[in-house]
Amino acid sequence: MEKVITVKIAGPAGTGIKSAGLLLAQVLNESGYYLKDYSEYPSLVRGGHNTYQVSFSVNEVYCVHKMVDIFVSLAKNHWQEHEKEFTKNTLVFADSDGKTDIPLREMCGQLGGSIYTNTITLGLISYLLDLNKELAKSILKKHFGDDSININAFEAGYLWGENNCQKIATDKGGNKEKKIILDGNEAVGWGLYKADLDMFVAYPMTPATGLLHFLAKNQDEFKLKVIHPEDEIAVASIASGASMAGARAAVGTSGGGFALMTETISLDAMAGLGVVYYLSQRPGPATGMPTWTAQGDLLFAVHSGHGEFPKIVLAPGDWNEAYEFGKLSLNLANKFDIPVILLSDKNLSESSTNIKDFTSDKAEIVASNKVIPGKRDKIKLYNSYEHDEEGFSIEGAEESKKMADLRLKKSKEILKEMPKVNLFGNDKAKKLIVSWGSTKGAILETLREMKNREDFAFLQIRGMWPIDPKVSQIINAFSEKILVENNATGQLEALLKSQMTVEFTKRILKYDGRPFFPEELKEALND
Amino acid sequence: MTNWRSGVIPTWCPGCEDFIIYAGLQNTLAKLNMDQDKTVIVYDIGCIGNMADFVKAWGIHSLHGRSVPTGVGIKLANPELNVIVIGGDGGVYGEGLSHLIAAARLNIDITVIVANNQLYSLTTGQSSPTTPKGSKTKSTPKGVESVPVVPLELIKAVNPEALAQHVSCLEPLKVAEAMEKAIKHQGFDLLDLDQLCVSFGKQLR
Ligand SMILES: Cc1ncc(C[n+]2csc(CCOP(=O)(O)OP(=O)(O)O)c2C)c(N)n1
Ligand code: SF4
Ligand SMILES: [Mg+2]
Repeated sequence: MEKVITVKIAGPAGTGIKSAGLLLAQVLNESGYYLKDYSEYPSLVRGGHNTYQVSFSVNEVYCVHKMVDIFVSLAKNHWQEHEKEFTKNTLVFADSDGKTDIPLREMCGQLGGSIYTNTITLGLISYLLDLNKELAKSILKKHFGDDSININAFEAGYLWGENNCQKIATDKGGNKEKKIILDGNEAVGWGLYKADLDMFVAYPMTPATGLLHFLAKNQDEFKLKVIHPEDEIAVASIASGASMAGARAAVGTSGGGFALMTETISLDAMAGLGVVYYLSQRPGPATGMPTWTAQGDLLFAVHSGHGEFPKIVLAPGDWNEAYEFGKLSLNLANKFDIPVILLSDKNLSESSTNIKDFTSDKAEIVASNKVIPGKRDKIKLYNSYEHDEEGFSIEGAEESKKMADLRLKKSKEILKEMPKVNLFGNDKAKKLIVSWGSTKGAILETLREMKNREDFAFLQIRGMWPIDPKVSQIINAFSEKILVENNATGQLEALLKSQMTVEFTKRILKYDGRPFFPEELKEALND
Repeated sequence: MTNWRSGVIPTWCPGCEDFIIYAGLQNTLAKLNMDQDKTVIVYDIGCIGNMADFVKAWGIHSLHGRSVPTGVGIKLANPELNVIVIGGDGGVYGEGLSHLIAAARLNIDITVIVANNQLYSLTTGQSSPTTPKGSKTKSTPKGVESVPVVPLELIKAVNPEALAQHVSCLEPLKVAEAMEKAIKHQGFDLLDLDQLCVSFGKQLR
């Protein structure tokens, strides 16, 4: 099997770790590799301890690995935190810090500034991985401009590698299909755009902010309005008003902001307004750990909004699904005129992959049938009170029950449109892994790397609500059922149990702000 | 002439000055010959918001305090629509005050009409952000401790270009005139109407 190689760069915030990482990803992409990346950073703008890591291979790689092959520290005292990620073969570079000594600051001094450590590092890594130097330089030139000192910095790093190190063995060739690099936020943005988004409203909140930035930057090309109002309550209200006026509208936030939007979820359900709520999770409660990952808001999303009404919760597990569900969410919100929650997390939203270029694809657009002002439709009152079909308030026993039934009845139709589960691996195996959302990558990567992969099947649930009660038939056909979730309480299990009879024989839960890595998942599965 | 009445008989208390606001709006919409298909009224929650059922126009009876951002969303989505927001002092100056300030700063072309009865009336008479200091209400039997919000000064402070008017329902003709001026105004405008709640607010006027 072809080898997966993992490179990690660490250093304080503000040293350009992420931008160097993304440039490296571009070079790897154009060299024909499949890649996944992942960044860790504290909620700070300067200082702290940031990392960027990328895993790549000539074949599909589903998530980053924990154990690294090359580690470069841009400043002192950074590699020490990562010793657990080193094997005996890991190449560790740091400036006068007890490891392979690369004089980054001295080289920067010669270049005439202190900000080139990241590009020097890129040169070194390109040498070590035997990447095409001219290709790398052309990508740098596109990014920095022809005459940038960064080109010299890259050369210096590359030369230093030539003089002091040996290249490591890498697989060559690989995939020639044109691919684009994007993170989960951007994938969702493309999906929404392709499904004819008219208005995106958001208040910044990590890890969903990237979607706001992406759509704001592209608003002219995408022909949409991007609004950043005073708070998340206004965000949701503006989107709902826009929906009433006939716009295809979406909002973006994380748990804290979503909490403020829940009254509007309820309004949308009552008034019959389709709005997409993109909820990218981070660890809570409260402000929690803003820049880390979690799957702690599944039940919150499913139960959001007061009262009883149908809503949709979709959970993409990877970038392709983030794009597909971006489209689907807007279509379903408009088809059923209800709120749709698109549930992601930091691990998916802020990590990147390279993926088949879908930017010129055409998407199916499902329009809302509701009447709207300005189109000579029959006038209607959209109403947050219980109302009759024209929108007038009602309180009678029979008529109010009738309207409640009319709303709830939609669930059956909705269920038909929900994305089906994915069943991976050996469906005759004894053991079934059950999970949802971004853990998909780590689980698939673990199974790919495992010698005893034939012992396992993996069920990925993608339509979280309404949930198909028939899922239990799939689960119950296996003798051992293993729950994998990035939360402390096993929310998927609770959700399944509220709708069907299932029992899990083992639970693998992680809730320290970090995603699952294949190395640790392998151990836990074989435990 | 366009009919702006839904046919639902208003449910306000006999003598409530919300009737004056309702009549003023009906007359103004008719007088300005507004395009009924392009006029959207957003109602807050409260006694005045109940007007939603009594008017024949595109409408959304939104949530308490959220009428202004809902109206902003409608206007942003389709700038050709005439958007009128109607709410009480509780909804617009209390629960939704930050939205009012934001809309005024944006100078978005919507009209906000507030039936300011200095009370939360639909919930049977608690103090509101405009209740005078010291007033005894159901939620403040020992007297209100805060100084009241002064809507016109607030709007002028955040955006001198916005139109901010104050009229008493004791002068119904002026109410209609002010509505006409407000609806015609390009950019953000607030019309604060002194409105008596006959059931819970007699001691306030
Ligand atoms: C979020 C929310 N909180 C509280 C209420 C209950 N409530 C309904 S109307 C109202 C106050 C209305 O006062 P105001 O806006 O001044 O309108 P008025 O009834 O005086 O015309 C309140 C608190 C509600 N409907 N929603
Ligand atoms: S309670 Fe007061 S404001 Fe409400 S309808 Fe009666 S008089 Fe009017
Ligand atoms: Mg009031």
